[in-house]
Amino acid sequence: MLWLVAIGTRAGYLQLYRGEWLSSKAVGQVERTLTLHGKRGTIYDSRHQPLAVSITTSSVAANPALIKHPGKTAPKLAKALNLKTRDIARKLAAKRHFVWLKRQATPNETEAVRALNIEGVDFLPEHSRFYPNTALAAQVLGFTGIDGHGLEGVEFYYDRELKGSTQKVTILEDALGRSFEADRRAGFYKTGHNLVLTLDGHIQYITEQALSAAVTTNEAKSGMAIVMDPGSGAILAMAHYPVFNPNTYRNYSREIWRNRAITDPFEPGSTLKIFSAAAAIENGSSTPSTIYFCENGNYRIGGHTVHDTKSHGWLSLQQIVKYSSNIGAVKVVERIGTQALHDNLKGFGFGQRTKIDCPGESSGALSHYKRWTAVDAGAIAFGQGVSVTGLQLVTAVAALANDGLMMRPHIVRAVADANGRPIRKVSPEAVRQVVSVNTARSIRRIMRTVITPGGTGVQADLDGYTVSGKTGTAQKIGKDGTYAANAYVASFVGFAPTERPALAVLVVVDEPKQNHYGGQVAAPAFKQIIKETLSYLNIAPADSLKRLRVSRDVKVNG
Amino acid sequence: MAANRKQKKTAAQRRTWVWGLILTLFIGEMLFYTWCRVQCTQAGIAISAERRKGQELATLANSLKIELARLKAPERISYIAKHNLGLRMPDPGQTILVP
Repeated sequence: MLWLVAIGTRAGYLQLYRGEWLSSKAVGQVERTLTLHGKRGTIYDSRHQPLAVSITTSSVAANPALIKHPGKTAPKLAKALNLKTRDIARKLAAKRHFVWLKRQATPNETEAVRALNIEGVDFLPEHSRFYPNTALAAQVLGFTGIDGHGLEGVEFYYDRELKGSTQKVTILEDALGRSFEADRRAGFYKTGHNLVLTLDGHIQYITEQALSAAVTTNEAKSGMAIVMDPGSGAILAMAHYPVFNPNTYRNYSREIWRNRAITDPFEPGSTLKIFSAAAAIENGSSTPSTIYFCENGNYRIGGHTVHDTKSHGWLSLQQIVKYSSNIGAVKVVERIGTQALHDNLKGFGFGQRTKIDCPGESSGALSHYKRWTAVDAGAIAFGQGVSVTGLQLVTAVAALANDGLMMRPHIVRAVADANGRPIRKVSPEAVRQVVSVNTARSIRRIMRTVITPGGTGVQADLDGYTVSGKTGTAQKIGKDGTYAANAYVASFVGFAPTERPALAVLVVVDEPKQNHYGGQVAAPAFKQIIKETLSYLNIAPADSLKRLRVSRDVKVNG
Repeated sequence: MAANRKQKKTAAQRRTWVWGLILTLFIGEMLFYTWCRVQCTQAGIAISAERRKGQELATLANSLKIELARLKAPERISYIAKHNLGLRMPDPGQTILVP
């Protein structure tokens, strides 16, 4: 009886007096709060080929309190995970119940640790980003950090759409650590949205190959190339050299990570002459056959002397562009006035951002015409004293290719959910009619002459297609603030076919050593890009359309 | 007196039977409840195991898609076409358009 009373009293004490404390202790041992991250969305090219995907990797963690012999265990783990023994030993000595040994370990490393069969070591699944095409379009795509956040490029700009949702879930586990609330957990794996880019993987590859050849052949410092659809503003390719592998971005210098086609402005040189000519035709002061005296190669203006590569006497506006006469360009601006040139350049988007959906875009530099001196106006006419980005330049040229209508450049075509259903589509957006249709067509014909014999861009000529373009060779500013003697930016910008342009292409090569003229350095790369891309897009040559003739053996009566 | 004692004994026996029955029902219900909880737990564990299997298959499918993307990479295809098959990009005049 006494025993029963004692047991009853103890039971009552535990149940009534300590009941709440005991319940919470039990819950703490059985319930666990888990933070689940949904998978990051996939980035596809325009043909729905994956450019960036999420893969499931294992991260290795440990409970230091459960590691029996940390001194003996640390070297084994360090060898399996390719880490330093002292780093592992420090983590195992921590007074915590959870430490990361290695995040996103490779499959080989995970298997090596599993084979050791160490109590207190666990494997947690995480999502990691993988780029199956390695360096293809690396600067455009960017990359993510260890926690799956976008750090550069499209990964950064569209980080909110791409990343999966994060949810905290409470799960119950038994004494062996097995969870039995799976249903509640499964519903929370929300994958991020997918992106479909305007980039075409094949055109991107063609562009990167041509650019790489141009840079290495001419022993240049770097290069960039852009291919755009003038009718829609879609960027089909945006290439850089040197390249980097976003799967191992830490092994490369930070300077290479940038999308320099939109972040780094440069002085465009003679490519700007086509816009000076457009300004002259648009304001009615000139036609393609209006003549200007080019001072036989030397022209004094504002205390400075402007030179031409070859001396010329009288040249028409068309010839000024074809032979790339600096003095001719200065004379054009003197006729139309600084305000007309300035307003025209602003109309073409220079000095302002295009608002492309990529991070870090520069606006370039175009000062107000009221601050221009006489020599400034002259220099700007032939592309010095003004800075533009590669994207601004190709977008402006694409406007000429598109009958004067400028389209907003964009890199993403659509945002889709995990099942492929489109959530948001990006439609082509017209920015403004920069010049009239007639002016645009006149400039296109003028640019065509650059590629003809005698022009500066003959190396861009392509059999079977009519190509239009303009070369550029601009001096670079040296460290002392003056123009350096042997540092140039060689460029070529154009489109093809001339009458109904399907592609606008820009190639820029920075500090070539072998040659420095745009017509020799950049034009061959432009030609290769146009040739292979038009073939890939099944755009037939204009002048030799062979029709396949077929016939059947049929008797004809009558 | 003897009859009284017998009556009391019978009543006590009856009470004992009643309490015994109540206790049996109570213990039986406890056992049944425990059995239900264990079944529920086992079912949850089995469901978790199947979900894990499903996740593994989905991961495998994803890995195969990634491998396919790697195999279809333009750089790889171009290398095979040029070096293994001796192909090259056609010149414009070599392309015949069949309308």
